[in-house]
Amino acid sequence: MSSSSFLLTAFIIYNIAFLGFVISVAGRKFAVDDPAAYSRRWGNISLGLTVAGFLAHVVFFFTRWAEAGHIPTSNMYEFMTFLGMMTTLAFIVLYLIYRAAVLGIFALPISVIIIAYASVFPREVQPLIPALQSYWLKIHVTTAALGEAFFAVGFAAGILYLLQAVDFSAKDKASRREQRGVEFTLFTLLTVISFVVAVFGFNAAGYHASFSNEVTYVDSNKVEQTVTQTVEYVLPPIFKPHEGQLIEMKPFFGMTDAPFEAPSWMEGSNAGRKLNTVVWSLLLGTLLYALLRLVLRKSLGAALQPLTKGMDNEDVDEIGYRSIAIGYPIFTLGALIFAMIWAHEAWGRFWGWDPKEVWALIVWLFYAAYLHLRLSRGWQGKKSAWLSVIGFLIVMFTLIGVNLIIAGLHSYAGV
Amino acid sequence: MIHNTKCECGHQNHTGTILCESCGKPLADDSGTAPLEMRYDGVARRSQKENPGWLDRIWNFFSSVRNAIYMIVITLIASALGTIYPQENTFLNIDPSVYYKETYGILGHIYYLLGLSHTFESWWFITLLFMIGTSLVICSLDRVLPLYRALSKQQIRKHFHFILRQKVSFQEALPAGKAGAPAPSEEAWIEQAAAALKARRYRVHREGTALLAEKHRFSRWGPYVNHIGLIIFLAAVLMRNIPGWHMDQHLAFPEGQPVKIPETNYYLKNEKFTIEFYEESEMSEEFRDRGQQVPKRFETKAVLYRCTADCDDPGKPPVLEEVHRDDIIVNEPMEYNGLLAYQFDFEQNPMLLSVKPSLKDKRTGEVYGSFELSMSRPAESYKVGDYTLQLKAYFPEFGLDASGTPITLSNQPKAPAFVFSITGPGLDPTGEPYIYFPRQIDKQTFRQDTLNGALAEKLELSVGSMDDVGISEFVSYLNIRVDRALPYIWVGSAIFMIGVIMGFYWHHRRIWLRIDDGVLSLGAHTNKNWFGLRKEVAEVLNKTGYSIEPKQLDREGVRK
Repeated sequence: MSSSSFLLTAFIIYNIAFLGFVISVAGRKFAVDDPAAYSRRWGNISLGLTVAGFLAHVVFFFTRWAEAGHIPTSNMYEFMTFLGMMTTLAFIVLYLIYRAAVLGIFALPISVIIIAYASVFPREVQPLIPALQSYWLKIHVTTAALGEAFFAVGFAAGILYLLQAVDFSAKDKASRREQRGVEFTLFTLLTVISFVVAVFGFNAAGYHASFSNEVTYVDSNKVEQTVTQTVEYVLPPIFKPHEGQLIEMKPFFGMTDAPFEAPSWMEGSNAGRKLNTVVWSLLLGTLLYALLRLVLRKSLGAALQPLTKGMDNEDVDEIGYRSIAIGYPIFTLGALIFAMIWAHEAWGRFWGWDPKEVWALIVWLFYAAYLHLRLSRGWQGKKSAWLSVIGFLIVMFTLIGVNLIIAGLHSYAGV
Repeated sequence: MIHNTKCECGHQNHTGTILCESCGKPLADDSGTAPLEMRYDGVARRSQKENPGWLDRIWNFFSSVRNAIYMIVITLIASALGTIYPQENTFLNIDPSVYYKETYGILGHIYYLLGLSHTFESWWFITLLFMIGTSLVICSLDRVLPLYRALSKQQIRKHFHFILRQKVSFQEALPAGKAGAPAPSEEAWIEQAAAALKARRYRVHREGTALLAEKHRFSRWGPYVNHIGLIIFLAAVLMRNIPGWHMDQHLAFPEGQPVKIPETNYYLKNEKFTIEFYEESEMSEEFRDRGQQVPKRFETKAVLYRCTADCDDPGKPPVLEEVHRDDIIVNEPMEYNGLLAYQFDFEQNPMLLSVKPSLKDKRTGEVYGSFELSMSRPAESYKVGDYTLQLKAYFPEFGLDASGTPITLSNQPKAPAFVFSITGPGLDPTGEPYIYFPRQIDKQTFRQDTLNGALAEKLELSVGSMDDVGISEFVSYLNIRVDRALPYIWVGSAIFMIGVIMGFYWHHRRIWLRIDDGVLSLGAHTNKNWFGLRKEVAEVLNKTGYSIEPKQLDREGVRK
């Protein structure tokens, strides 16, 4: 059995465990005699499933390690699957402290989405370049991911809290703003899901298009070079590369060439394709959102609210805070201190204001502000929940956005 | 706001005190019912003074957590802006006033004009870091001293208002004994409760029928410890500006030739540079199909020398003493007495280092002898057999200028040429000129034999085999550094970690009890993890004859 089948197993089990947590919370009203026992039983079953999925995930991790000959955290696919695994672990830890089945309804989907997102990236095992040949690759990346995983669970608790606390029927201005915020957060998640579905769908259908365009780069002798590169598209091109020439394109609904071109100021390799992907994700995300609204006939937040019953929202607030409090030292250690030690060994300086470093610092400063606001200024409840949602978006930007948009020294991460 | 700071229990409190330092009775808002504000145990902070002077005002500014959060948020936003376009220092030799406009258009130019293209070196960014450092010191001092005072002399019997207005509180008559047995005496009950609390690792202090149980107080010092770590870290960063504390240079090291490291007394020689690529058999199947070459290892065999004499004398070769040797690879720098050398880059650039030509009689083929000729430091004269070669001129990169005069195009031995004046048997006693191009290609290009005329018929300088040629195949670029602040950076980081772990992974819990006329009043406080505290208090109460769910202890829960 290859490593990836264990990942698939884990993925499927996580989904089943998620359904188990839904039953534990929503099924309570059908259990007439003893709802608490019913809920507890299903909670335990789901936790057992989650642990089983986690173990399958661990087996995936180590079999891949054996296949690759180095720790599988060296490119985007490997890192994101690892982050998914750590998120499950963080959830299990918090579940064991608080026994909150309802948290599973929000934390497990985050693991699932992260793993699905991971599988969009190239999966082949790549040889390790000299800069990555260090035991700090194991230590730095794993600790940083574990810290971020606790922030992910903090995010899940934040959404859960907001879904509980926001009044979806109120019409006043403040409530409306909160409702829109919740919808926007959910819409963002839908966009990520649409992205994954679109890439898989078009890949399965064998869709393909390619363009050639000229790119200039500065070579190692600091001389500008211009080369012609071929850009492969998996999604039908709505935007082609700037000044790109069509090589081939499967017609898509009668479209035989891309209707638009990426603007010239978009920097970086494959800017056109990235723009195209973002546009597709937004389009499909909007479509999915609109469909769900049509089917549900109410806002997504209002539709999800019944699933959030069964836990006092003060406890949810505490879970979110606790998760971030557990994650903060781990994140500091992994993403900043170990990173500095490794940077000192590999690059000869412990800090160099590389974009990835700066964004790790931004995440750290953000959660520092969160903790101070909470401890000293009494920002609890909704305010704190919003911050944990925003914080995790910054984490995701640091992990993905920086690689997609800014590049820098961490650009070998495979995007 | 001036109000009477003397409590009814007789204790005189500092201005700004919220809860009496002795009995805990709320000094303001005594009639309220909302849970008490327990931050810093309600003591007055250093900054809460009447009639502040200007020094106090500065102190007050930096002691405010709100201002600290503003500084954090501003630093955060500035850092984010600093990543929009690459910073100036990521490029070598650019003119930022033109570069940003040309590369990123008008937005790039605005970015440059705003100074964001060097955000992290700008005076305002460094000032921000400095202000955060100041705030760390002052915020901590402002709070830690009063808090220490409050926690080190706690009164055991607290005021009712204090106990019952805790977030976790409980008031009920002592439980009846089991199955009709008489209710335990106040003394017996409190004995039982103390035992249950001790079993949960509380330190229990008693005063008659009042009790204070406390654990993990050290967790309260976590924030201050981590702030100390941060202060050390920031100070270390600033100390790097002290001359001699920080050096950073990128130098080229051709193989086989010691190169002086500027600003130091050291020479470093790259004995051999090797680059290794992954074999196809080491790649996974999918990756092999990509046909990419992936480097596996860059290695410089380095020898470090200390110069002991003639270091700055251009006429004499420096006297070098080997002090250290190491193989430098990426991730494994060489370290010697604080001097660090990192593998940074390399260049494949074959260059002649030295040759060992033989002087031959062109007609008979007789070899008179040979000598070692260095490209970087040729000697003034060489003795070969009966002949003497006097070096008249050396052109590392031989060329001709517009008027046909020989010049050197650079000081790199790319096309070396030596002009000797040879004296010896059968030659003009004043010496005959002989030009020598060690590289075969230059010899032909510049027609060495034609230039040497008649002498070329008599004598020949040439290299017998490749063994007589010293070539540098690679130039290894090393990053040479000194960073004396590093130990402080690591110590600061370690202290920070100890602080956050103390503060976040342990929780300070306190439980106050008092029994008055058979009625138990209980209040409990923690700085974090109320869920755990409620569970623990409920366990203790359930062990001592009550029957209560953790959630029932929650004041806010009860109020709902």
